[in-house]
Amino acid sequence: MLAVSFVVLAGFLGVAGVALDQAFRRSAETALRERLMGHVYALLAAADEDARGRMVLPSALPDPRFANPDSGLYAVVVGSDGYQWQSPSLTGRSADFLDPQPPGQRRYSRVASDGQTLYVLNYGVSWEDDFGVQVRYTLAVALDFEPVAAEMAAFRASLWRWLGGLAVALLLVQGLIVRWGLRPLRSVEQDLQRIESGEAERLEGAYPRELQGLTRSLNALIRSSRSSRERYRNSLGNLAHSMKTPLAILRNAAESGARSGELRAVVLEQVLRMDEIVQHQLRRAAASAQVALGRAVAVAPVADRIARSLARVYADKPVDIALEVQDGARFFGDEGDLMEILGNLMENACKYGRHRVRVGAHALQAGRRPGLRLWVEDDGAGIEPHRHGEVLQRGRRLDEQQPGQGIGLSVVREIVEAYQGRIRISRGALGGARVEVEIPPPSLSQF
Amino acid sequence: MRVLVVEDEAQLLEQLAGHLEDHGFAVEKARDGEEGLYIGRELPLDVAIVDLGLPGLGGIELIRKLRAEGRDFPILILTARGDWRDKVQGLEAGADDYVVKPFHMEEVLARINALVRRAAGWSQPRLRFGPLVIDTRAQEVWVDGRRVELTGYEYRVLEYLTLHAGEVVSKTELTEHLYAQDFDRDSNVLEVFVGRLRRKLDPDNRLQPIQTLRGRGYRFVLGEASPAAR
Repeated sequence: MLAVSFVVLAGFLGVAGVALDQAFRRSAETALRERLMGHVYALLAAADEDARGRMVLPSALPDPRFANPDSGLYAVVVGSDGYQWQSPSLTGRSADFLDPQPPGQRRYSRVASDGQTLYVLNYGVSWEDDFGVQVRYTLAVALDFEPVAAEMAAFRASLWRWLGGLAVALLLVQGLIVRWGLRPLRSVEQDLQRIESGEAERLEGAYPRELQGLTRSLNALIRSSRSSRERYRNSLGNLAHSMKTPLAILRNAAESGARSGELRAVVLEQVLRMDEIVQHQLRRAAASAQVALGRAVAVAPVADRIARSLARVYADKPVDIALEVQDGARFFGDEGDLMEILGNLMENACKYGRHRVRVGAHALQAGRRPGLRLWVEDDGAGIEPHRHGEVLQRGRRLDEQQPGQGIGLSVVREIVEAYQGRIRISRGALGGARVEVEIPPPSLSQF
Repeated sequence: MRVLVVEDEAQLLEQLAGHLEDHGFAVEKARDGEEGLYIGRELPLDVAIVDLGLPGLGGIELIRKLRAEGRDFPILILTARGDWRDKVQGLEAGADDYVVKPFHMEEVLARINALVRRAAGWSQPRLRFGPLVIDTRAQEVWVDGRRVELTGYEYRVLEYLTLHAGEVVSKTELTEHLYAQDFDRDSNVLEVFVGRLRRKLDPDNRLQPIQTLRGRGYRFVLGEASPAAR
């Protein structure tokens, strides 16, 4: 983070520095030009006329520097009639900075002359003498550029020194702010380490507002994983405990020398019972319930897969499964749990319906994590109202004719309850049973 | 009918195989996925039972490979966990039905018979050919309302021929589908069975349900009245 801000800062200050430098240069150059122009006008004002009325430069010059050799201010005048004049300051130097101009034209330039850099203005004028003859003159004034260059260099050095210092200071301040800003995160990190080492159970601290969403979610996650583990432990304990009775019965039957027919009956019965116990505990242990921060599972594809699978299995029947699942219908939890719910409900409908099954689902509210309602209807005989409760009980089979599968409604009920949902049986539009499941929107508040 | 059973739990495999043989199936056994794949590729089969929880080459992969190679006999999957994810995956891979462990042997038998019958194009368990009715669930045969007693092998021959009604079934094909690999095959035994079948089904020589095509095989030719799926 600091590296990025350093680069950004460097970029900004660099651009600012360059802009300032350019501005200063332009301003210095403009001032220089104005000075030169000023000198040209002063010379013109000081000029005399000779007998014919032509321009003549006097010996008394407007600026004393014109009179001193190597003063840094030089002037040269030439006329189209051959007139030539140069300032005394030019003694011993060359006048090579002269660049004749047509009247009204001026030209600024920087030239090297005699080992010095000069800033020059060449200015063309037209002068009418007493006889009406136009004579063209070019006045060239040159200033020593060194002092100006030195001034610009000094400015530049000072500028970059200041900007550099500013950059360092800004970086320091920024570093301090970032460290100070991240301090709460470090305290969260320390608290998490204490949880890891077992010294604490949850994040308990005064965290700034910006972090409260994060700490709440983390606590929910910790609680959820902890309760998951506890559930597993409990289920294993329950399982071991519940198995003892059927095992004891089996053992007794074997040891007591029961007749083989009786033994067979006891074995089958206890096997069935143990199987139910195992299934029940497995489901309870595996129900991840409302996983905090669970992913959204789209209902439509799952319903589609199950419908296709059932179509294969019940190819003989045949059953028409109509899917009316909204795109927005989503299940917040384990995909396996959704498959169990839909699979069991839809298979029951195929089994007990005559030809038609309808499946539907839609989100309960608008928003990012809505609840879910799903329902399955068939055109079979339906379930009598006084048997609704019985049918939802664990292990109770309303029909004994279809062997092996058992009624899946009790499975569905257990899963739905683990998600704090509701299940309801009624008579559907197709004439047979309608089973409706409602799952509330997921929330972290229970953790 | 010839059935392949792929199951890694040895005791369960023997139980299944024994039960199936008792009910007239010729059984091929495989203890893991690779063996199942080999048998599934090489031998003619009518149906297969595959356990999903196989080590190495898993049940679902095995089914996928068999289907990918064009082996289209029906497959029944056995699953211990019974969760829908496994069932759906198995069915999507190419299986046709499933049974959850622990299962009733009768249920496996009933489903296998249903799958075989479905694969032959029959959607109902009762096959009707004019005066001849075969109940594939109870494995009973009636002609003109009169129950006909057949031995196990006689029934199997009749069942195979009727499930391929109208098709020419060579003696080789018949033998392959009736006997497990290591059984001693003798095509003369077949002729005896067919002869007995004819006598029992058609004592007056009126119906002539089974036609012999010299050098090619047998064909069941009694008219079909109402196969729902045909």
